[in-house]
Amino acid sequence: MDQQPLFEVRNVSKTYKKGKVKANEGISFTINEGEILGLLGPNGAGKSTLIKQIVAHVKPTEGEVIYKGRNVVEQNKRVAREVAYYSQEPHALTSLKVREAIYYSGRLRGMKRKPALEETAKLLEELELTEVANKLLKNISGGQKRLTGIGTTLIGGAGVYIFDEPTNELDPKKRRLVWDLIQQRNRKGATVILVTHNILEAEQVVDRVAVINHGRLLAINHVTELKGEVDQRLKCEITTNGAASVALTDELAGWGTLTPLSDNRSRLLISKEGAPTLLNILNKYEEVKSYSIVPPSLEDVYFHIDNEEKSLQTQKGEVNEYAATGG
Amino acid sequence: MQQPVVNTSYETSSVKQFIAEVWILFRIQFSIIREQWPLIFILASIFPFATLMFLHFFTINPTEAMIIRIITGNMLFALIIMGMNVMAQEISFQKHQGHFTFYASLPIEKVNFIFANLLRGMIVSFPSFFIMAFVGQWVYGITFSFSFWLIPFVTLTILSVVGLGVFLGFWSPNMQLTNLLVQGLMMIISFMTPVLVEMSQLPIVLQWFSYLVPTTYAAAGLRDLLAVGFTYSVGQNMLMLLLYTLVSYTLILKKIHWRKEG
Repeated sequence: MDQQPLFEVRNVSKTYKKGKVKANEGISFTINEGEILGLLGPNGAGKSTLIKQIVAHVKPTEGEVIYKGRNVVEQNKRVAREVAYYSQEPHALTSLKVREAIYYSGRLRGMKRKPALEETAKLLEELELTEVANKLLKNISGGQKRLTGIGTTLIGGAGVYIFDEPTNELDPKKRRLVWDLIQQRNRKGATVILVTHNILEAEQVVDRVAVINHGRLLAINHVTELKGEVDQRLKCEITTNGAASVALTDELAGWGTLTPLSDNRSRLLISKEGAPTLLNILNKYEEVKSYSIVPPSLEDVYFHIDNEEKSLQTQKGEVNEYAATGG
Repeated sequence: MQQPVVNTSYETSSVKQFIAEVWILFRIQFSIIREQWPLIFILASIFPFATLMFLHFFTINPTEAMIIRIITGNMLFALIIMGMNVMAQEISFQKHQGHFTFYASLPIEKVNFIFANLLRGMIVSFPSFFIMAFVGQWVYGITFSFSFWLIPFVTLTILSVVGLGVFLGFWSPNMQLTNLLVQGLMMIISFMTPVLVEMSQLPIVLQWFSYLVPTTYAAAGLRDLLAVGFTYSVGQNMLMLLLYTLVSYTLILKKIHWRKEG
């Protein structure tokens, strides 16, 4: 028998200013219990609005979000109790000590005094915050503030965790720490929704990925299956001595969209069959300093989906323009 | 599949959880000002103190009724600054900084958050209010009649004014507008309603407006209470203040949503 999804996002849209501004549009998908779902998209894609709709902080203009069979808006207190949400907003507890912030959050989630104290001590250790435990939040670094925020989210043992860009401002070691903690909670059965634009890190953690841009859901699938969609192609990264010449650029353009990565680095997605010919071309040019050919990553999948969406929008625009001019 | 982690260490008594929530929310709110409290308190007292002294230097041989009006007016002026201005601006700041997102993501009752804010407003307003009473007595050389009724009367006075401040803070469409609004309201309520002047001296439009603000009833009741003690008129004013407190509290509860924004 199919398991009932934990969340069902049904055709959700949000508009502001009497419909003039669209935050998101017609988004539908489900979130299963025990999975880690990544919400990927650039800044301003509409990820945070969607999350706020899921936790019933923002009411959709159209559609609904169902949690365990009921609309989240009708049971927002239950959602607040069972879903711990880490937002990007500045922390409300900046005038408290780190220890107080985590402990009070546990108490406000309904924990008794003693268990809240014990869990606070454990989290301070896990998040490597023991040294700053008695400092005010406003007097610690941005990264430590983030970690404290994660502590205030993790305390209380909610069944679902939503993290909105949890690793911003963190150094690589602390990022690893956060991903480990998230995975640890997930292994114990918790469901995790992870909003991020850091695709490379998310790839290590998430089970499924939803790609969002311009307020619309572009794709949702398991990471491996999404990769499979572009798997017939290989990723070729080319480094040149200085900017690539017109001749080289023209020759490579015939192989697909050349995405510049920096002044002297570009990326090209090519078919497996075409690889030997491309290698011959690259070897021909002395300006080609180095190249590598590897299978695509989640980042490539993301750019592929995003590029397809852009070309679709361009085509639509051209059709509309054609129709408007009476063509 | 493993079951999600369920912490069994939750509070089961709703009364205990209510007390814990209000106390913790109050401590969080109070922590915002705990370091600057003496400074806020001094700054909030300077304005009414200066007005009190100004009126002392300005008036020649004032009657006892005038003296009581000046002192009670400045006590209320201090309350308007702390209870309405500071509270409205502070809550507006929290709202626009996104602090409510944190509170809304916790399973707490909005009523407890509001109650914690009212409590904080009362505590920070109380000292300025009473210091003006004692300073006023000393400057003008008079003695008030302090009675038991002063406690519920002052509580209702502070609650009604703080309620207005909390409501304005929650309603705040943006910080700049709220700051301008409360600064303007502070001057209008303090100087253009019967807080420091007599109702009969005001134009009719301001008299109508005066009936809409709780400080009119607070000033009238406080004058009677400090001059002669509890009277029928003090009781009527207390009822009005109770009504204002309940109305502002209900408006905050019903009209302000921190989850499911429209």
